Amino acid sequence: MKHRHLLPEEIDLLLDGEEGFGVAPLRNHLEQCPACQADYRALAAVVGGLESLPLVAPSPAFTERVMQQVQVFEPWHVALRDTGSRWMPQSSIGRVFAGATGGVVAVAMTLVAVWLGQRADAVLFLANLVLQRTREGLMSAAHSVALSLFGDSAAAAIQGGGTLALLAATGALVATVLAVAFGVKTLATAGRRRRS
Amino acid sequence: MAPILDIRNLPDADLVSLAQEGKEAAYKELIRRYERPVFSLIFRMVRDREIAEDLAQDTFIKVLNHIDRYRPEFKLSSWLFKIANNVAIDHLRKRQLETISIDGSPHAASAAEVEATQMDVVARQETALEEMEAKEIGRAIERAIESLRPEYRSCIMLRHVEGRSYEEIAAMLDLPLGTVKTYIHRARHQLREALGSIRD
Repeated sequence: MKHRHLLPEEIDLLLDGEEGFGVAPLRNHLEQCPACQADYRALAAVVGGLESLPLVAPSPAFTERVMQQVQVFEPWHVALRDTGSRWMPQSSIGRVFAGATGGVVAVAMTLVAVWLGQRADAVLFLANLVLQRTREGLMSAAHSVALSLFGDSAAAAIQGGGTLALLAATGALVATVLAVAFGVKTLATAGRRRRS
Repeated sequence: MAPILDIRNLPDADLVSLAQEGKEAAYKELIRRYERPVFSLIFRMVRDREIAEDLAQDTFIKVLNHIDRYRPEFKLSSWLFKIANNVAIDHLRKRQLETISIDGSPHAASAAEVEATQMDVVARQETALEEMEAKEIGRAIERAIESLRPEYRSCIMLRHVEGRSYEEIAAMLDLPLGTVKTYIHRARHQLREALGSIRD
């Protein structure tokens, strides 16, 4: 290092306080070379000056002005948690009591659920009964309509065919009504054209 | 009663968590903690107190309104300085920078306004003589900083006023590490030249 002065990057390393094997010879040179010492001191003075620059304060109302334009958003889960914690008693005895009450309520609700589960068969039986009665009523009504419109054989077929026959008969009835309506409309249009 | 949280002693990450939960006190503490460093950086970039206040305000509003997007693997301060630098650089690009004195805004129309726009510094000096010398050097450096390119200015401020590493500065400013080193090297030498005449 005696044959040349420090390079600018090498002075930067020293200014940045770098440590290591490569820096030791640079420091040795610096101690012995007045020209490099002058360079280093001038730059160190700049760095020292920069590092001692004071912080600049904004106006006292700065925080308030920022907060006026900041949207403070509380997520729902935090709101729920905070609401829950507001309801929670502060004393340890109160918390134990609240916990015990909660436990009792939970056990009671579980028992009610189990009880309802055990009686689900009765609920299903009642539902089936209502369904069956409804179906029988509909079949009877359809039988009456078929009997009056298409005669005994159609009524017997619907009665024998069950739900599928009932649906088929309803479809056929709707199709017949639509076909008749379309036929009447066509005839009326043709009559109007002939008259005009 | 809920336990009283000493919010001033909390680390940034915890404060951010509280802010994300909608705690207004956490927002205010974050502003209190960083208003001076952020304002100082912007002020030294734009050299106008009123504009610096507006830009610092924009910086905090941008950060705090998007606090839910904060990723804890990064430092909050780095995010703040990154935004602060961006808003300052954007401003300087939009408007031709008017170089002004540290003693007040060029827009000041009266002595009262000049006083109002003077830098409100936090004194660190001990004796009157040291204070005078330090003030003189400080003013000289402030003036010398004005002469730097904005990119050099932000790098040198982050390095020597905020004490950030080269790697942090590169990440904050989205610059290659080598570019940051070059900018700081050139800034130091330009400042040295600018201060040389004063010392002589």
